[in-house]
Amino acid sequence: MSAAVTSRLTAAVCRQFQRVVTVSSYAQPQSATQAFSKLHLCQRSQTYDSWWFRSSVNNRALHTSCVRRGLEEFFDLPENWGEQTVKSGAPWTAKQLRVKSNEDLHKLWYVLLKEKNMLLTLEQEAKRQRLPMPSPERLKKVERSMKRLDTVVTEREDALRLLQTGQERGRPGEWRRNVFGKTFWYRFKEHPIPWYLNSRYKRRRFFEPSHVAPYTRLSLEKYLRSKIRKEKREKRSQERLATIFPKKTALA
Amino acid sequence: MAKRIIYPLYQLGNPQLRIFRPTFNLTLVRPGKEQPPETVQFRIPMEMTKFDVRNYLEKIYSVPVAAVRTRIQYCTNKKRNHSNQRVKRPDYKVAYVQLAQQQTFQFPDIFPEKDKQHEEGSVEEMQEKFMEDERQRQKSDPRRGGVTEWFGL
Repeated sequence: MSAAVTSRLTAAVCRQFQRVVTVSSYAQPQSATQAFSKLHLCQRSQTYDSWWFRSSVNNRALHTSCVRRGLEEFFDLPENWGEQTVKSGAPWTAKQLRVKSNEDLHKLWYVLLKEKNMLLTLEQEAKRQRLPMPSPERLKKVERSMKRLDTVVTEREDALRLLQTGQERGRPGEWRRNVFGKTFWYRFKEHPIPWYLNSRYKRRRFFEPSHVAPYTRLSLEKYLRSKIRKEKREKRSQERLATIFPKKTALA
Repeated sequence: MAKRIIYPLYQLGNPQLRIFRPTFNLTLVRPGKEQPPETVQFRIPMEMTKFDVRNYLEKIYSVPVAAVRTRIQYCTNKKRNHSNQRVKRPDYKVAYVQLAQQQTFQFPDIFPEKDKQHEEGSVEEMQEKFMEDERQRQKSDPRRGGVTEWFGL
């Protein structure tokens, strides 16, 4: 784990320095120093983001040169072009992400988003050129990291909401019965008009008609029967094992 | 967001919708047909609009955008698999973004030919040598001057 951490750190840091060095010619002086001071905080490229979050600073009126400054981020570092494999570290785990602050997570989200965009462009170009994509596992790693980040953020949001309001869900809803007799969680939607003026909503019935009630009962009986059968099966297998391996021999 | 997410309803006077942590992914693609120098071609999720693309590029990538045009590419549902079921190739949306401030963009060559020098005594070097020998064996005798083996002697 520590080896993975250090390798990821070194990989991230090396990449950081390369990127920061290439772009420093465009960047403002204060954002470059800010970047270096924050280097120790985040395992993965927080330095990336301090200058990305500034507002778009192309104050020069006439700019005729071929600019890929922003669009360069859709591609990998030029040294990696044409390589068969590109080294990359392990994905972020939820445990590591829970330690980070909200600002760090927010910035990391955008870093991962840009990385994913870069990998998708690479994948598409590889398909176009009919060549194998170098290290396709990077995509899965980034996707997993983003998923875990999302879970951590939703955990925090849920906890905050529970503490502040006592609501378990962000989006209100209720249990309703549909036409087929099945009970389901109906999630409310925002409408500009009340429900009794909404003709399409009124056509959607949230009650079971009288002729469906016998089928609800039958499906309930089926479910109960299967549950009982499963319990009996478990009990029977346990008894059989108890006869084969009685407790007296186990204790002895 | 790109998932099945319901955005808050907008009525006059409501605050501007802000999206934190967008899940939209943009893919830069090489244009199939020749495009003007300031045009960049993207594949975007279906749910994105021109305004979304503009804000995305300006805020996240700080790329000045002059104009965005989109179209939806319908992909075939005609192909069939081994059990003769129709297989749909997913549709996608394409955005043509024109850069502001007279900037240009040329899609780079991401897969240049690189001469790899294998180190002495490595497995790859031996494999390369073996492949070279095989290829040499397959070639016909150059002394025949292109005449095939069918003509005896």
